[in-house]
Amino acid sequence: MKISMNELSAALRRCFEATGYFVGNYEDAANMILWLEKHGLKGLDELTRALPFINTDSDKPLSSVVYEDKTSAIIDSHGRSALNCIAASVDLAHAKALENGIATVTVHNCHNRKFILKALTDCGRRGISAAAYWQNGSHVITEHTAAIKAGDRYPSYSEATTALEVNDLDAQALTIICSSRVDLTSSLQHSRGNSNTLDVSAEKVASNKEEAVANGINIDDELWGEINRLGTGILVSSSEQSRLGAGGR
Amino acid sequence: MTTPAAILTSLRGDNALPLRPANQVMDLERLGSLHQSRLSFMRTLVRRIMKERWQITPAVFQLDKDGYGTVIYKINAPHGVFSFVLFSDYLSSEERNDRVIATKWDLTMALVEGEVDDVYLEKLRQNVPKQEAGRVDSRVFVLSRANRSARNFDYVVEQLAQGKQPDAERIAKVGYLYRTTAVYGSGKLGMADWEKVRSKFPDFARPFAGEMFVCLMLRNFSLLQAEHIAKHKSPENFAPFEPEIKRYFGIGNSTGLGMAPYLVNHPLLINQWVEMRELALARVRALGHIDDSIKQEFNCLIDRSYIHTAETETEDEWQTDNNQKVLQDLTSLKQHTNNGFSGWDELLQWSETNCSLQGQEMLVSIMLELYPELVDELEEFHNADEVLELDPLMPLQVLKQVIESRYDWALAIDFTAEGTRETCWYRSEEKMEPRLGSVADLEAKDKQMALGVGYAVRKCYNHLCEYMDEHADHTTARFMVAHPKMRGIVRRIQSMNRCIYGDIQANLLDRNILPMHLLRCKLAFFGVSKFDPRSRLWVRNTMFQGAPLLEDIGKPFNDDWFMPLAPKQQGVN
Repeated sequence: MKISMNELSAALRRCFEATGYFVGNYEDAANMILWLEKHGLKGLDELTRALPFINTDSDKPLSSVVYEDKTSAIIDSHGRSALNCIAASVDLAHAKALENGIATVTVHNCHNRKFILKALTDCGRRGISAAAYWQNGSHVITEHTAAIKAGDRYPSYSEATTALEVNDLDAQALTIICSSRVDLTSSLQHSRGNSNTLDVSAEKVASNKEEAVANGINIDDELWGEINRLGTGILVSSSEQSRLGAGGR
Repeated sequence: MTTPAAILTSLRGDNALPLRPANQVMDLERLGSLHQSRLSFMRTLVRRIMKERWQITPAVFQLDKDGYGTVIYKINAPHGVFSFVLFSDYLSSEERNDRVIATKWDLTMALVEGEVDDVYLEKLRQNVPKQEAGRVDSRVFVLSRANRSARNFDYVVEQLAQGKQPDAERIAKVGYLYRTTAVYGSGKLGMADWEKVRSKFPDFARPFAGEMFVCLMLRNFSLLQAEHIAKHKSPENFAPFEPEIKRYFGIGNSTGLGMAPYLVNHPLLINQWVEMRELALARVRALGHIDDSIKQEFNCLIDRSYIHTAETETEDEWQTDNNQKVLQDLTSLKQHTNNGFSGWDELLQWSETNCSLQGQEMLVSIMLELYPELVDELEEFHNADEVLELDPLMPLQVLKQVIESRYDWALAIDFTAEGTRETCWYRSEEKMEPRLGSVADLEAKDKQMALGVGYAVRKCYNHLCEYMDEHADHTTARFMVAHPKMRGIVRRIQSMNRCIYGDIQANLLDRNILPMHLLRCKLAFFGVSKFDPRSRLWVRNTMFQGAPLLEDIGKPFNDDWFMPLAPKQQGVN
């Protein structure tokens, strides 16, 4: 079915609020998904993969800084979804880059890392260049990279299937590089045995948005139903007493 | 025409104009004392329509003798063609309900991009009358519904059918034929997103312009329908409205709690509206030349505002008392200025000592009314990019100072005192209707909306102070990694610190909170009049009373429908 961006955003906020995301985070999560979908980067597919696990994050420890110096940090996200932790990691890289010119933050044990694109875009808009790289998959390894130049509004994004062997030590890791001095760009190396390469330029990301703004967003009925079903968790059952609180006649 | 740069230098820096301070302006009771002004959205919309001479004509007019059927108005605006589609259906009095939980209405309507063909009309017919239970697509900008004011409607039709005019005194009490009970836009129910309307449709690219336009069209249809029914009832005796009394009909509106969370959840937008109103006032204070003609006009507006207030009927004791105070304030103001006055600054200061808040704000609206050349161009600056942005580099010392200076009002509240956290705002399972409850209701407490900005600031401040005991030299980014639950409120604090006025200064969790102030604030920005609170949670009011009619478009226009008065009549009974 077709829904508006506002409907998707509102339903996602309810959904994440109901599943224990806290104020500020549920807006972030909704915006990250909407941003990907609105720009033609399959945010709803990513959400479909994340949805069965989103209510488990409230039991996990908050992200912790494992190592830190002036230009780098290592963060353990303890198996959380990027939806509720990656923005803070990007912000840390941003702050370090502003102080030192360039900075690297590595995040471990973080799921759904594609959602980082919205946070990278925020960096670009704030005048910082940023790039990210991560691998994914337990059998076949795919690799992904995204980057945005300082002052730009849209990032580029690439993904490919690799011939790499599975490395358990590096599972669910992601590297962020931010710079206030260097304009970072990123693209995957086509000669390294990669296949099914997808390169989406910043210009294409920008043009994808036009379609969503003009006509709304297509969503699978079942997924839409599930988002709304989860969102009902914030609603309070009705009673005569509660009707008085609505102030009607 | 002014520019963003000129506005910026008027608001900040060495050459800034004398703005009223945030702790005065953002006080909730004062915001709840605002009146309509020439910057209100109804005024700005009508100005645009009249100046640009929009062509609005019925393209389909299929009403039976009782006024039921379908009507489509075609709107030719400078940047596009639009359609206003309206369905009029029979509704029994038992089914008539103004609450958001209603499922049937007398009238349902939609504002649509482009012209409407038969296929699309049928699609709208299948969905628009169902409102929340239906679906529309991104060609639709606004969806609304309205219920008849049964007493007034039947009376007015009967008068016209007998060749008589409605009694203006009676219309002064209830100044409309229909009340709209919800006006939806911004992508709800499948409609066009605001981003689309704002970026692609300049005719409706100001906040709530589409929504206000639908209410204006509803008002025009209500008058046309009353005449239509009366004419069929008694073709021989029928007389149409006289223009003066016709213009005196507005459209009724019932507004409930739903508007209150909007103000808290859109702080940058509300700040922008307040900034423009305050900038307009500052311009008048600094640049408003006073001569005999201005003094004369000022006196006329005081008299008009007095009569308008005196003509406002409400059963609510609190509002009646407020209106009485405004009448006294206007009398004092007139006496004080009878022998002349030296300047607007002096008068404003005098009002702050001698008038009620509603009286003070009435003076502000009157001052704005006198200087269209200083005020009107600011209507182009009511939009805001509503992105609350974290500043990860801000040192925590600075963040702490920001909280202490911009949120001193929140830190001054003792949240351990009884009653300061007693109210909770939540969404009901009935159409997600916002409701107010007590934290004694554990389910409501557990699921409450995050509207307690003051309390959130206090909690954040406590965490921050504790964190700074060990990491005083850290940045906000590092604090966010350690305290991710504070992300929302820190982002808000930093973003609102970039504004002149910032957040509304009130504890919405307090036992004695008056949501009415929030409703009235937003309604005043819309431009309504005749506030008639029905409880502390919802208010009836009148929109577009005194505004030009469709048939006035293209004729000379003096933009003078501020505080409309009942027309003088002779021989009406």
